[in-house]
This record gives sequence, C-alpha cells and structure tokens, in this order.
Amino acid sequence: MQVDLLIPGLPAKADHFLFGICSLMLLRDGKRTILFDTGPYRVRPMLVEALAAHGLAPEQIDTVFVSHLHWDHIENIDLFRHAEILVPRLEFEYAAAIRPSDWGTPPYAREMLHGMRIALLDEREQEIFPGVRTIPLPGHSVGLQGLVVKAEDGDLVLASDALWSARDAVRGHPDVAFFDPEKGRQSLERALGAGAVYYPGHDRPFTLRDGRVTYLAQYTYQLRFSFQPDGRDIRTMISTEDGPQAALTAGDI
Amino acid sequence: MSAAIELLFTGISAEADKFLFGASTVALVRVADELIIFDTGPYAYRPILQGRLRRAGIDPGAVTKVVLSHLHWDNAANADLFSNADILVHERELNAAEAASGRDWAIPEYTARALRKLHLRPVAGEIEIAADVRIVELPGHTPGSIGLIVGRQLLAGDAVGSAKDAVAERIASCAGDEEAGTASLKKAVAISEIIYPGHDRPFRVRPTIAYIADYELRIRLFVDPSGQDEELHFGAAAAKSFATWPGN
Repeated sequence: MQVDLLIPGLPAKADHFLFGICSLMLLRDGKRTILFDTGPYRVRPMLVEALAAHGLAPEQIDTVFVSHLHWDHIENIDLFRHAEILVPRLEFEYAAAIRPSDWGTPPYAREMLHGMRIALLDEREQEIFPGVRTIPLPGHSVGLQGLVVKAEDGDLVLASDALWSARDAVRGHPDVAFFDPEKGRQSLERALGAGAVYYPGHDRPFTLRDGRVTYLAQYTYQLRFSFQPDGRDIRTMISTEDGPQAALTAGDI
Repeated sequence: MSAAIELLFTGISAEADKFLFGASTVALVRVADELIIFDTGPYAYRPILQGRLRRAGIDPGAVTKVVLSHLHWDNAANADLFSNADILVHERELNAAEAASGRDWAIPEYTARALRKLHLRPVAGEIEIAADVRIVELPGHTPGSIGLIVGRQLLAGDAVGSAKDAVAERIASCAGDEEAGTASLKKAVAISEIIYPGHDRPFRVRPTIAYIADYELRIRLFVDPSGQDEELHFGAAAAKSFATWPGN
C-alpha cells in the first residue's frame, strides 16, 4: 500500500481559534483509494487541491478512514458521501451522547454522518486491507484508532492524535490526552512501538533515532493581515523550508 | 434599559494563502430580558467561545435568541450550544443551504440537517426581535444574509466583511450576487453610525471610517520538537499595527 502525505499537520495553537490542521494521508494499492481523515473545514480547498495533484477528484476516494470523531478530523466528510466510511465503533456509539465537557466531538457528529455508508471498526487490531492493520489508540478520545502500514524500510504508523506531535515522542508524554490521560500514555507508547515512520495528528511525519526527530516533510504558509481600512497590509510567513532552525519571518511591514 | 453590544470574538481581517482563516465576529446583545447571540463562529471557536461566555457570566441555556447572519461554515457551527434559544435564519438562506447540499464552497452539506434539530425559526422581512433590535436584510454575500441593527449600531455579518469593504464601497468576499452585495453594503453604511463587520474590528462610519476597537492575536507553534514554542504576536492597535516574533 502506497502512502502519500496530502497535508502535513501543523502543531500550532492560537488564543482566538483552534487551528485543527491535522495530517491527511492518501493510501493506494491499485484496488482501493483510501483517505486517512478529512481535516477541518479550513483546509477544504487545500484537500481538494492536494487530491487533484494526485490526479483525483473527491468522488474517486472509495474509502475514508476516520481515526476519531473530533471536529477537525471530520468536517470535510461531506465531500465523500459516496465512499465507504470506516469509523471506530466506540467513537460512533459515544457520539450518540457525548460528555458535556467534551468540546472536541460535535454533538451533531451523527448528523454529519447521516445517510452515509458506515462500517464500524471493533476495538482490536485487524488487517482491513492487504498490509494495512488497525491499531486501537484510545485516550485522546474514547476510541481513536490508527493504521499501521507495512513497508520495506519499517512500518508506517498513522497515529492521528494519539501522537499529537513529534514533541510527544521526545517527551514520552501525550500533550492532549484529555479523554483518558492514563490510556493516552499507554497509546502513545503503543504507537511509538508499532513501526519506524510516524505520522502524527498535528505535525509532520518523522522518524526517531536515539530520541532525535528527523522530519520527512516541510510546509510554508503565507499570512496577510489587513490592519488598516486603506489597504496597508502586514504579510507574514510560517515556514519550515529555510533551513534547520525555526524560520518564522516577517516581511513588508 | 437600552440594548448593548458586547463582542465575544472580534473578527480578524486576515487571509492565508492555502487555508481558510474564518475568524468571524461573534457578538452578544443584552436587551431587557433577552440575551441574543449574533453568529456563532466556526467550530474552531468552540472551547474558546464557551470560556468567554462563562467569563461574561452567560449560561448558554439562558440565551433566548441566536441570529445567524448566514450559514457559512465560519458562522453557524456552534448554534447547538444554545439549546433553549430560537435560531433565527432568513428563509432564503435556509432554502439555499438545503438546495446547495454539499455543492456550496462555504456551506457544509450537513449544516441545514444539524440546524433542523434545533429550535429553528426561519424569518423573512425586517422584523423587530426585541426593543430597538431589528433584523436587516442584506443579501449579496449569500442569498439570505441578514444583519441586526441595535439602535444605530449594525452587526453586519459578511454583508460588510471589513472596514476596507466600506472604504472600497464593494465587498471583497461576494460568494453570490455582487450587485446585490454592493447595494446591501451601501444600505448598511447609510443606516449605521457604527458597523461591526463580519471579519474585522468595529468602526465608526462618519465623518470618516475609523476603527473603535483593537485586537491582539497570539499564535504559538514549534518547528523544533526539542525546543521551545515560537510565539507570533499580532496587534491591531491603530497607531502601531504589528507582527512580532521572539528576538525581533
């Protein structure tokens, strides 16, 4: 099964809104065309463009694997109403009546999925496609599941938010395991032990050697703020492409 | 008691090259025994919105009305938080959302279906919903865009996206009918002393367009997982708009 990164997760937080930009992957083996998570609404144009760059329209995705039912992983599910949607059973059942303190799972998640062709995944490891098995990683949410994809140079672990960022791997502690912190710690360990290349929920894919992270993808985002009604703007950039150091640059101020 | 507008979220006039920013305005109107929420923001606001309501001493269950300026993803995603409120949407907007059913770039297919589970109250015409608080029809950005005029202050939604729109006398983001959008913008400016735009700070209309509020935005991220967070800090204080990084 070939895995392509469509959008790398962005480990950013703001005081005004949640970014929610999570890692989206495309899995293909000539038979199935599978999308791993759908992202928050804010990446909808990026997702459509990334699919097009692989020669695909949303209608050509035949399977969507939903790691869990948080808003930022399912807001674009409606682009794939024709596809088979694989959802962890625990997530789907929980979505019928969420905890009042859970702001991650939309209370209307079931409405979002209404009328779609859904296959529920039990909480166990199982091979769902040749060389692709599920891995239960609860803690961040009630029943999050990832995928482990067999690869010659070491298996790929698509961990979603059980491994929020590479920092979780460095610190050995999950950053956002708010549903069940103890299970979250176990799931982080389980994810890190399941392969050699990691796809975190909100960070770029990476490998780990002696506690050192090597990233396998880059990103650049241009931002423009209009502070004055006369059209004077401030342009800024968030980028990892200018070298090994943090490359956050301001221009045209 | 006259009605008062409090901003829960000040809209931010910002764009990114790839993703949608969606930092829209959310306001609270207190009038007599009514608590009215104008727009609910994108889902990305949710825990922050809940926190700001708590700090404002507002029990979401006590909100009596939610007015949705239109049904785009960054305006209508949190209406369900207000379980006892009437949800006021223009009937043209609701019809358009249902007809679009997944084909509209800014309205998810599930929006209308999720709203139908709430106390949805489609409205038409310019009705008074509380003393001195009236719905204003402002089509163009979408077929059923509405604003809420409170005294001489207008919550405009995206019919006035930003102060820049008011200066240019046309709206930069017009998903629908541009001619209607321009007419609605002119109407908004004509009837208001102060406008709260959909994606910008409130501004005074006369004698010249001038902001009456500022904002600050902080973004934290890291590119080195072994290192510290980087912090980007944006400020809109009129005399000293800025974007800073540590070490700058």
